[in-house]
Amino acid sequence: MTPTQIKPSLPTLTLNVNGKLHSFMLGEGLHEVSPSHTLAYTLRERLGLTGTKISCDEGACGCCTVLMDGKAVLSCILLTVECGEKEIVTIEGLEDPETGELDPLQQSFIDHTAFQCGFCTPGIIMSAKALLVENPSPTRDEVKEALSGNFCRCISNYHVLDAVIAAARKGGGE
Amino acid sequence: MKNFAHYNARSVAEATHLLAAYEGKAKLNAGGSDLIGVLKDRILPDYPEAVINIKTIPGLNTIEENDGGINIGALTKLVDIINSPLIKKNCPVLKETARTVASPQIRNVATLGGNLCQDTRCWYYRYPDGIGGMIKCFRKGGKTCHAVPGENQYHAIMGAKKCFAVCPSDTAVALTALGAVLTVAGTKGTRTLPVEEFYTPLGNMLALDEMITSVNIPKPDPAAEQAFLKFTLRKPIDFAIVSVASVITLDQGICADARIILGAVAPTPVRAHKAEEYLKGKKLSDDTAAEAAMLATVGANPLSKNIYKLEIVKTLVKRVINSGSCLS
Amino acid sequence: MITDYRYIGKPTLRKDAFDIVTGKAKFISDLTVPGMLYGKILRSPLPHALIKSINTTEAKLLPGVKAVLTYKDVPDWKAGARPQHVRVLDSKVRYVGQAVALVAAETEKIAEEAIRLIKVEYEPLPAVYDVEEAMQPDAPLIYEQFNANVLPPESRAFGPRTLQEIVIGDVDKGLAEADFVVEGTCAYENIPNPLPPETPGVIASWEGADNLTVWSASQGPHMFKVTLQPLMGGINIRSIGSPVGASYGSKYMSWQFVMPAAALSKATGKPVKLCFKKSEHLAAFTVRLGSRIHGKVGMKKDGTVTFLSGDWLVNTGAFSECAQFMIAVGCGEAQLMLRCPNWSLKPKVICTNRTASGQVRGFGGQELKCALIPLLTMAMEKANIDPVNFFKKNYVKPGDGYYWRDGEWWVCQGTDYTRAIEKGAETFGWKEKWQGWLKPTAVDGARRRGVGVGVHGNADIGEDVSEAFVRLDGDGKAIIHCSLAEHGTGQRSNICKMVAEVLQLPLERVFFTPVDSLVNPVEIGPVGSRGTYAIGNAVIAAAEDAQRQLFEKMAPLFKVTPEDLETSEGMVYVKGKPGAKLPWSKGLHYYGACLGRGRFEPDFSKPNFMIVFSEVEVDVETGKVDLIRVVCATDVGQVIDPPSLTNQLNGCLGSGGIDSALFEETIIDKRLGRIMNANMIDYKWRTFAELPEMELVVLETPVAGHRFHAIGVGEIATAPGPSAVLMAVSNAIGVRLNDYPLTPDRILNALGKVNAAKRRGKQ
Repeated sequence: MTPTQIKPSLPTLTLNVNGKLHSFMLGEGLHEVSPSHTLAYTLRERLGLTGTKISCDEGACGCCTVLMDGKAVLSCILLTVECGEKEIVTIEGLEDPETGELDPLQQSFIDHTAFQCGFCTPGIIMSAKALLVENPSPTRDEVKEALSGNFCRCISNYHVLDAVIAAARKGGGE
Repeated sequence: MKNFAHYNARSVAEATHLLAAYEGKAKLNAGGSDLIGVLKDRILPDYPEAVINIKTIPGLNTIEENDGGINIGALTKLVDIINSPLIKKNCPVLKETARTVASPQIRNVATLGGNLCQDTRCWYYRYPDGIGGMIKCFRKGGKTCHAVPGENQYHAIMGAKKCFAVCPSDTAVALTALGAVLTVAGTKGTRTLPVEEFYTPLGNMLALDEMITSVNIPKPDPAAEQAFLKFTLRKPIDFAIVSVASVITLDQGICADARIILGAVAPTPVRAHKAEEYLKGKKLSDDTAAEAAMLATVGANPLSKNIYKLEIVKTLVKRVINSGSCLS
Repeated sequence: MITDYRYIGKPTLRKDAFDIVTGKAKFISDLTVPGMLYGKILRSPLPHALIKSINTTEAKLLPGVKAVLTYKDVPDWKAGARPQHVRVLDSKVRYVGQAVALVAAETEKIAEEAIRLIKVEYEPLPAVYDVEEAMQPDAPLIYEQFNANVLPPESRAFGPRTLQEIVIGDVDKGLAEADFVVEGTCAYENIPNPLPPETPGVIASWEGADNLTVWSASQGPHMFKVTLQPLMGGINIRSIGSPVGASYGSKYMSWQFVMPAAALSKATGKPVKLCFKKSEHLAAFTVRLGSRIHGKVGMKKDGTVTFLSGDWLVNTGAFSECAQFMIAVGCGEAQLMLRCPNWSLKPKVICTNRTASGQVRGFGGQELKCALIPLLTMAMEKANIDPVNFFKKNYVKPGDGYYWRDGEWWVCQGTDYTRAIEKGAETFGWKEKWQGWLKPTAVDGARRRGVGVGVHGNADIGEDVSEAFVRLDGDGKAIIHCSLAEHGTGQRSNICKMVAEVLQLPLERVFFTPVDSLVNPVEIGPVGSRGTYAIGNAVIAAAEDAQRQLFEKMAPLFKVTPEDLETSEGMVYVKGKPGAKLPWSKGLHYYGACLGRGRFEPDFSKPNFMIVFSEVEVDVETGKVDLIRVVCATDVGQVIDPPSLTNQLNGCLGSGGIDSALFEETIIDKRLGRIMNANMIDYKWRTFAELPEMELVVLETPVAGHRFHAIGVGEIATAPGPSAVLMAVSNAIGVRLNDYPLTPDRILNALGKVNAAKRRGKQ
């Protein structure tokens, strides 16, 4: 095999975000996706899904957390070109698409004022969502562990723990 | 992030041939948790021309038991190692170690191969280009290691000569304790290499066309006690300041065999040979643990601000010997 | 008094809650403006150097680049505290990371590539980082005009008598009266970063000759009109705020991002967006002041302090954003904590070659307390005084006086916090846990527990003027006109509660105008815990004024006097006659809104208060300190919104607060002048996995001067923590520690477990 036989990534890319398919040309144009674009960048700058926040932009703070095939991942350290086959869910995708009703977790965050500045909240909610999908009735320590990669500098952490536990209870857990 | 060519490798052969074709100017990308930060901060003197996605290579993400022991594909995610009953049963020390790595989100994407191959966290090496330019240190072909006269609180206390960055991989420490062997593929074929021999003062033994494809762990003696302790300022996202993994086989309270590996103290994981030798044939007690702990630090040569790490090494070695089981 | 409020004191929905949990809240980084360019800053590699040459030719040729500015091209705007001394770009750099050149380009990527094409030659100059070295005659001079690198005292910020030192009574007399005298040096010099999650960001649009529109994440967007307009040649700034992805004081006057973006917009004629990366946020924005005290304290056996004297050396880094204002407030706050008749505490603000300090929650007070309380504890230890008793005895009481930041003597008319201290101590179990100075609470093998306590308070809940309008519309809605930015405290929602309570309107019918200086009166913003009392009072007054106008309009319809009327649910009633009612629309129609006006005048007579108790566990074999339990106690007069309050108090763990005693620090390589931990792995912050037990004690002793008898405490939550932890760790290990942070190396060192003979390499 010679290297010339190995082709770079396909010239188009289809992303599945919040159940909708989006096709992009790969390239450096204003509406294209560059191989160097991160998923966070594409979500925000190409799809207008600015609920996914960028803070540290290198995988240390959890603000950009989204679900990929149901698992919490950091969209700032994923290359968009490598996300083609995946199901991505962002904070914008948690509401019921038909009724617009909030996910019980979102409602619980509202009920518990589980935020202060709110910048890290979408990422925290996505991490918590991934937890509840996998473990519908987590203990407080399990919630702490699941959220341990999410920065909250205002220290809304205690209210967040209450909100997640309460949402789990409502969802039939514990 | 600056542009690069991007490939989705469909096979190990494709990946290794691309590596060869780019003559060191291409980077493999698995989980991306290390590489993307390296690229964004532009810490390397030569920005890679290509990024080769290896997640598209089938078959490298399985955990299997075979005659030789446990075989883990290099693309196996840390989360899958943590959740594997096979790993839990045979090598709990690896499970416990993987649990201490980074955040849940990173463990969901980071791979075993990537954890082993990640670049050092030395903050001179990692200094971002955007704040006055990256630092060209010894590891990048420069003349000096700035840590020696500088802020070296997290740097090597032993085994370093020109570059005092430490090996950041936690799993390397556990795998060395388990005597694991890597399968490495290149354009000219595959070879095997013990994890213990994988690291070099400035990186690892991979040739520029090579990648790790799997890790084989010889089946540990079921009677062996495995333990891992990682000292950090915070759980769970910190890299180790010091870590210690041990596999100790006891025969009626007497140590029949011991492997004690120190992490984050040197450019490579370090086997505490003197401590291991000392323990063999001894009855484990507070006194023997303390003596072994002392022996684990023999030959250390700390820098101006990291002498304290010696004390932590001693404490952790003592505690893994005394604990007799996995702790984190 | 009324206690059956409709909204006050009850948890209510945050007005922005839905937007926050759905990701719809638009922070500054989420905004775009048509035709917008992206700005980037080339930053200095050297801590101190002259720019010999700078070549932008190649950068300008890169397609998509619209402007490249150097010190030769930018307007001559000067910033920093008076005398203004920092230029947007200068021919000299004074810290690693200082702006050297600015680029505006069509995309962020192009801007990033362009700054790499700028060639700069520097002539390096020696750099200095330590305050005492910086004052030596042979030290490098960072600004020609500041002799010995000492900034002149600020003489105007807070009026003609702005407090710049504490000199009261006769120190010699105090010395003679003392039973114990201690002397020592205590320091808080790890310069933690407040580190809000959102990096600093702005969009600036220069229009015509002298109009600048600024969209920004500022805690007090209106302050750009107050502070930046005069510095930018008297242009007209329209300042529009956005939700702030937290600030903790740091994003306030913020010329550091406003002026570069404005210069680029002026040069290109297009709006320019400039958002810092996290590394820039950590290395080139705002850290806390460095604080060191060489001091002397005299104490009597009963804990009466007879004198306090010393030098307070304040390291402001490469420039003073407002360090002289901060020492004014710090000096005021020291007196609140200490009823002492004889003072001579002399601050000096000193420039050094590191990233600049600026305002952060605690505003000079935290920085001073973290050094001053350890000094006082040296005396308490000698006198064998329980620190809780000491604070109880010494915290300002109604009738006591103090010089506040304006240099005026104020007499406390606020709350006696003795009960809060007692209740906090009881909740914490202080009596059981306190074993005396340098004695652990409990020992279990290598693990030792210790307890400590710290206090803080300010008298800024009534600082500065606030103005607000409240508009009543015929459709039964109230609109608050006020440039109050939401930066996480929930204050915009809480102010709505106050108005809803005054007008007895459903909360859903109370609205806030957007934060925009073009539509709202002046508002310096929610700083210094002034939101509840100062802003609240202005808005309440506006609502009352609007209601008065409403009643005047509608009284004739009922043929009664305005005093006979009351309102609820958008209806006006005659008191005592529930049947006699009319909707607002009958008086206001659809065109006749009434606009009430409210104003608050500064009042520094009501100190607030926070006491923080901490319990730590130290592993003496590794040097690791774990924070086990924290109890905060305060008295707020009246809780406005319980969850907002608990969130704010829990915030004592964040924003460069309690953890600056444990692991938060900005680490500078003094050979290179570089900050080594300008990333969120190496800059340590508290994770969910490391949360201590937290208990809050909130008393409600009504305060005069506010319709709902409430005062604010959010800002002060962080300040008492660090010294409380320092005390706790000292007690746990039995060794006195006088500076921060208490990382394992320093603990092991204090325990004598680090054998210096073993080291190699040079310090």
